[in-house]
Amino acid sequence: MTAATRPATLIPDALACADTLARLKAAREPRVVVVGNPNVGKTTLINALAGTNLKVGNWSGVTVEKREAHLTHGGRRVYLLDLPGAYSLSPHTPEELVTRTALLDEAPDVVLNVLDAGNLERNLYLTLQLMDYRLPVAVALNLVDEAREKGVQVDSGALSRLLGVPVVETVASRAQGTAGLLDSALGHATLGIGVRYPEAIERAVEALSTRMTGVDTLPPHAHRYLALTLLEGDPSVRGRLNATGHAALVQAADAQLRDLDAQGLDPLIEIAEARYALAGDLARAAAPQAQARRTVTERLDALALHPWLGIPLFLALVLLVFRLTFTVAAPFVDLIGGPLQDTLTGWASAALSWFPLARDLVTGAIIPGVGTVLSFLPTLLVLYLAMSFLEDSGYMARAAFLMDRAMRSVGLDGRAFIPLILGFGCNVPAVYATRTLERRSDRLLVSMILPFMSCSARLPVYVVFAAALFPRQASLLVWAMYTLGMLVALAFAFVLRRTSYPAEGSGVLLELPPYRFPTAQVLWKHAWRRTASFARRARTTVLATVAGVWLLLAIPAVSGASFATVAPQDSLFGRVSQAVSPIFAPLGFGTWQATGALVPGFIAKEVVVGTLGQIYLGEEAARPTALGLVDGIVKAGQATWDAVVASVSAIPTVLALPSLNADTTQDLNTPLAAALARAFTPASGLSYLVFVLLYTPCIATVGALAQEHGRRFAWTTVAYQLATAWIAAFLVYLIARAVL
Amino acid sequence: MPDVPLDSLTPGQTAHVVPLDPAHPLRRRLMELGFVRGAPVTVIRRAPMGDPVELRIGATLLALRADDLRLIRVRA
Repeated sequence: MTAATRPATLIPDALACADTLARLKAAREPRVVVVGNPNVGKTTLINALAGTNLKVGNWSGVTVEKREAHLTHGGRRVYLLDLPGAYSLSPHTPEELVTRTALLDEAPDVVLNVLDAGNLERNLYLTLQLMDYRLPVAVALNLVDEAREKGVQVDSGALSRLLGVPVVETVASRAQGTAGLLDSALGHATLGIGVRYPEAIERAVEALSTRMTGVDTLPPHAHRYLALTLLEGDPSVRGRLNATGHAALVQAADAQLRDLDAQGLDPLIEIAEARYALAGDLARAAAPQAQARRTVTERLDALALHPWLGIPLFLALVLLVFRLTFTVAAPFVDLIGGPLQDTLTGWASAALSWFPLARDLVTGAIIPGVGTVLSFLPTLLVLYLAMSFLEDSGYMARAAFLMDRAMRSVGLDGRAFIPLILGFGCNVPAVYATRTLERRSDRLLVSMILPFMSCSARLPVYVVFAAALFPRQASLLVWAMYTLGMLVALAFAFVLRRTSYPAEGSGVLLELPPYRFPTAQVLWKHAWRRTASFARRARTTVLATVAGVWLLLAIPAVSGASFATVAPQDSLFGRVSQAVSPIFAPLGFGTWQATGALVPGFIAKEVVVGTLGQIYLGEEAARPTALGLVDGIVKAGQATWDAVVASVSAIPTVLALPSLNADTTQDLNTPLAAALARAFTPASGLSYLVFVLLYTPCIATVGALAQEHGRRFAWTTVAYQLATAWIAAFLVYLIARAVL
Repeated sequence: MPDVPLDSLTPGQTAHVVPLDPAHPLRRRLMELGFVRGAPVTVIRRAPMGDPVELRIGATLLALRADDLRLIRVRA
């Protein structure tokens, strides 16, 4: 059956449309919201449309990402708001709730609906639901190239006629069709058709809409949608209407529901089936000879999800990402930590030679402290690029599929794996990512174990210690730390699930999106944003902490010594650290220097390395290379070029298997590594790393936990992590001392 | 032809959905993703450890656990 033979299902609504278009023409800055299913290439499209105007932030109150842009189109200001991906407007996730709420409350001038041309039927379900809002709609038919490869040829003209709204074909990754899209959306968006539901449902909708007429708080564009949603029994809409003084409306809906039930009708089924029937008809009419070929995705999945190759492949991929990260970034790490820092120190000490205190602060604390942290930016950038690639290519969902069974043995589901993997990047967004889990007990449980996932701020500590104590097994050591963190997290999940957070209900439901090659632009934006937020912390938190530690190191705690010239162990910092250090003696690192770096590490783990640098290299850090401005720049330029060459030529070695145990590229011969090699034994170094891995990641994570689940929850987490870190480090020290 | 639970299909088999059990914990979401009366659903593969199961419904690839699959009835 084609749509043409079922005209009764269409409701043209030209009258209301003229009204809204007039409003649109009058609006000074029309507001366009972009709505679509997950994985339809919306991010890429938004990037193509908004370019550099795009601002990314969070929705207030929730931590779902908010992308918006003010741009000028055809001499006219336009406000573009990207709503999070949604399969439907009956919210199941915080993302979908945001989308629904924005459509209800913001009454945008145009709804730009992005469709995946290769999955028309399911995507049109959302389109038809959108049309239950009486708002002007325009459609971007995206991924037409991918659909064509699958053998799906969509006739966009026919689709436009059938839907009654403008349809523009786009290939967002190549910016095709995007230019005409805004023209179409701003000039021709219409209300389109709508679904004609079975007569009994329509009568109930009509009755409820009548009750809403004239109520200011229920804008006319939302009447039909609200009525339908009430009939579907959506709990969030009921709750919201009850809370805003519309309880009578909810009761009226209940009366209608009882009527329908008496007629043997289940509105949820009737409504969904009516939408799907129409969506299916529309899809078949617009893409008549759709015959899916065996796609690249299916061929790749035969390998990626292979019964016994799938999991080893996944683990190998994770290892590869870490190896790539170090091999490619190491020359740049050396560059920033070495020649660039030396040059800067030289210039600073020359410029500040008349102000000894300021010179000491800059060359002895700020440059080595902040510099050490910044020297890890290349490593992080490469790591984030690799992780964004895995996410945006569609592989992460496969990882969740592969890991679901294993995760279930500790009481979690495969989806919990995604926040956990994100925790490798940074624990803070990972805590917020737990919101994608539907059940509250899962969110609490995953939040509680998340901080054991080794975030990238802990990486610098491992790298420096690996260089100092295990130069030949550096990447293996780092991999082991990540694995240990994960094992501890899973062990706790197992215990907590059985004690504090019993599972409620069942259910994992995961879309495996088609594999796509992410565009360089989107990858770069994702990775750069994460790296930049790390750099921002170096500028603020780390800068303040190293300055604070410098000050505490300068204040004498013994009589007779004077400010700034006191020996470190006699300073206030040294004395306090000495008082605390016995706690850590059983772990093998009861020196005040080692202990002292852990305390500011509570603020941010990247500070640990900076503080270690300050304490161990306090005096020798100032190695001013007396250089003039010009030769400084020349030297730095030469060193940068050398780093680029070394980095590029190292790429082939990433895949060289035998080098797994002999990281010749891992030659971080920094003065700090040399100092650590003298101060730690392999066993005490390992124990130190285990402690750094497992204790509270940073104050920002504690803040995120408190914001999500309350202060009590956050402090409980801190306490039990400190205890875990101590016990685990103690055990590791005992074992390592016996073995190494 | 009798209805059978979806988890009884072997990879490669296709069957048609019958209306979902109102008690199904994922009913609403499943319907939105296309589990409506008569929709063809194909079992593609099981995950390496036997669970979850990958399905194709329409042009969508989905993973569902066997427990939830058992509650979906289909007609061959």
